[in-house]
Amino acid sequence: MNRRSLLRGVATTGSVLALNGLAPMAFAAPVEHAPVTIERLPKLSGTLTLYLGRGEGGLYENILAAIERRNPDLKLKVRRGPSTALANALVAEARMSRVRADVFWSIDASSLGLVAEQSSPAPIPADLSAQLSPAYRYKRWLPISGRIRTLPFNTGRVSRAQLPATVMQLPESDLTFGWAPAYGAFQSFITAMRILEGEDATGAWLEALASKSKPYAGEFGVVMGVSRGEADLGFANHYYTLRLKQGNAQVPVDLGFTENDAGSLLNASGAVLLNDSDLATGFVRHLLTEQVQSFLAREAFEIPLVRGVQGPQGLPPVATLKPPAIDLEALSDLKPTLALLRRVGVL
Amino acid sequence: MRRVEPAVIASSVVALFVLAPVVVLFWLGYGADVDWRAESLRLTLNTLALTLLTVAGAVLIGVPLAFLTTYCELRKQGVWLALLTAPLAIPSYIGGFAYFAATGAGGEIALLTGVALPAVDGLPGTALVMTLYTFPFIVLTTRASLRQLDSRMVEAARCLGAGSKEVIARVILPRIRGGIAAGALIVALYTLSDFATPAILGFDTFTRSIFVEYNAFGLDRAALLSLQLLVLVGIVLALESRVGTERESTRCNITLRLTTSAYWLAVVFMSLVVTLTLALPAFVFAVWLARDGIAGFDPVLAWNSTYPALLAAVATVIVALPVAFAATQSRAGRLLERLATLGYGIPGIVMGTALIYVGLTFDYLYQSLALLIVGHILRFLPLAVGPLRTCAARLDKNVLFAARSLGARRLETIKRVSLPMLVPGAFAGGALVFLEVMRELPLTLLLRPTGMDTLTTELWQVYEAGYFGRAALPALCLIAISACALLMMFSSENRSDQLPGR
Repeated sequence: MNRRSLLRGVATTGSVLALNGLAPMAFAAPVEHAPVTIERLPKLSGTLTLYLGRGEGGLYENILAAIERRNPDLKLKVRRGPSTALANALVAEARMSRVRADVFWSIDASSLGLVAEQSSPAPIPADLSAQLSPAYRYKRWLPISGRIRTLPFNTGRVSRAQLPATVMQLPESDLTFGWAPAYGAFQSFITAMRILEGEDATGAWLEALASKSKPYAGEFGVVMGVSRGEADLGFANHYYTLRLKQGNAQVPVDLGFTENDAGSLLNASGAVLLNDSDLATGFVRHLLTEQVQSFLAREAFEIPLVRGVQGPQGLPPVATLKPPAIDLEALSDLKPTLALLRRVGVL
Repeated sequence: MRRVEPAVIASSVVALFVLAPVVVLFWLGYGADVDWRAESLRLTLNTLALTLLTVAGAVLIGVPLAFLTTYCELRKQGVWLALLTAPLAIPSYIGGFAYFAATGAGGEIALLTGVALPAVDGLPGTALVMTLYTFPFIVLTTRASLRQLDSRMVEAARCLGAGSKEVIARVILPRIRGGIAAGALIVALYTLSDFATPAILGFDTFTRSIFVEYNAFGLDRAALLSLQLLVLVGIVLALESRVGTERESTRCNITLRLTTSAYWLAVVFMSLVVTLTLALPAFVFAVWLARDGIAGFDPVLAWNSTYPALLAAVATVIVALPVAFAATQSRAGRLLERLATLGYGIPGIVMGTALIYVGLTFDYLYQSLALLIVGHILRFLPLAVGPLRTCAARLDKNVLFAARSLGARRLETIKRVSLPMLVPGAFAGGALVFLEVMRELPLTLLLRPTGMDTLTTELWQVYEAGYFGRAALPALCLIAISACALLMMFSSENRSDQLPGR
């Protein structure tokens, strides 16, 4: 309910270590999978320019403030912006050989893929990748936290039993839908569907749903629309629903999940190293610490990708979710997706 | 041999600068594959319909309000003026989202009162919200014209037996066409290039396509679409240039007396407008604030918003002066002024990206305050040119000749005769630029120096993440600063009445 100020954010990041951080370490995870705690990292010094693609309403600020507090000799120059705008700017900088950023931290895998492809990023050190689940070890960018595709549904109009196990079964139901075709996360979802089910099946799916769907500008709008009963079921990243319910627990909306298909795609935020300095690597190392990962899970409802860190409240345990096996780096190819969305007339 | 006016030369330089980003757009868009004629046609029609409705709505609300606040004796006139023009301080995505959140079944109003207002969406809803956040443009430009009118014409008409209605319809309105048209042009260009409101309220326009392409990393297609949009902008510019401005040699204050019932009707009308534009978003913010609690707020954001806006306002007025002058002097000047207006029709995100390339070419400009200000000038130049041109058109050549024949040199004539006549236009134009820069988002996001966060970037950040409660304080701060600027403008406007030149 209450948002933490900088000070309290820093205080709680510390206390979590004692509360829930140690528990999985002691019981569930083997010792070598224990997340690194921030205290074990060497102190950083120098000036680092960070391009931050979105910041979850200031929540990332708390993380940056905590990192600065721990490293008094570190000076962070932060450029915040929409992930696509910063990615386009970085592509321009790379084209003109004048890259200003040391690290690009973005909430959106496709912008990371684009920047990694069009600039010459430093490789991700193996010991950093090793802290992540094996499915998220990429060469050119480092996943940091996850977000899963969900089907938020109106609990007053739909019961959980009515939800099919896969998104491909949705056209057969008589539900109404809310979606945001212009929104990046939705386009990634359709890209995943294209890869998993094929172009034709995806086109047919979109066509079948188009007449029963209400378009929204963004996915927070989708979740609000579903909660108001404008649609029975929506397509949105998981955290919008959790945040809406955080503001007002009475909202009649709940999260539905599918299994092993695009409907439960686990997409990632992450970082590109645009400078191979120890400072840039050391900074990114901080983002994988137990404290930062727990903070992301608790405050931003994001899914920690470092092994041995507890997932967000309100979401089933991460181990029980069944996201499809898909290479996130393949998701940056949006052109065929847009062409498809246009062909069926939803964009 | 005919002498080329210096104003025309200066205006050519400005037009060249405005065309620089357009050249970058051609470069970026070169080779893009766009093949969707049917879609383009639909988008064009949608965009035109929205623009037409918004302009009509803004004129219908704006012109009467300009009359009321200029000619009628209202109690607390300055406060009314500030309140009625303060909607210019509200970013379109905030206004749009407030309406989206407040109305319809399950909206905040329905939750509070149990009575659901019809949802504000689609073409009518988008046009309504656009109207509510653009009509003050018309109020300000029309006021600038109204304040220049010669009261003797009105008195003459009255002596000849004309009633108030007839005086307004046959004497005043024809003489302020230019001012209304200047405002209508701004409203039209704003509507053509705004992305957020139609996107939030679910109406498909050109800008939405541009934004979708931009977000899917189709920068080439976004650039090409922006060039297509510029064709529409060109049409609007050509239309507006057909509206002429009457020349007025002197001005004396005009007062229209309202009967008691008309007075209260006017107050009800103004209150209704203030309720719809300011009270409704304030109510929505208050609800969110109560729900989410107060979060920290850094006052440096307010300063970071204010001083670039001030710099941009002053710089834009200075750059606009020769453009406005040239426009009144020759056909070439008129054409150059039209070219200089193109920038307002390029969506901010596209203009910003084009300027990133310009900035990277001259490395020291990239991510500097200077480039940000240049971006604001290029985009908001027409806001200052419009009111200035209306004033410049009223400069009677005979008065200038008289000054020259009395021995005043060229510079002295400009200083003592021309410039004082332009003061109301400069204030109106400067204020418009200030307000637009205050609420502007995409250019600021793309061009500002790293680490400089403003009220609007903060608003974007919390809005984007769905933390609406946190938007309340920066939004209120934005509105408060803008309202103060408006109050200052209106009080200096009154002082300028005492300046020489009448």
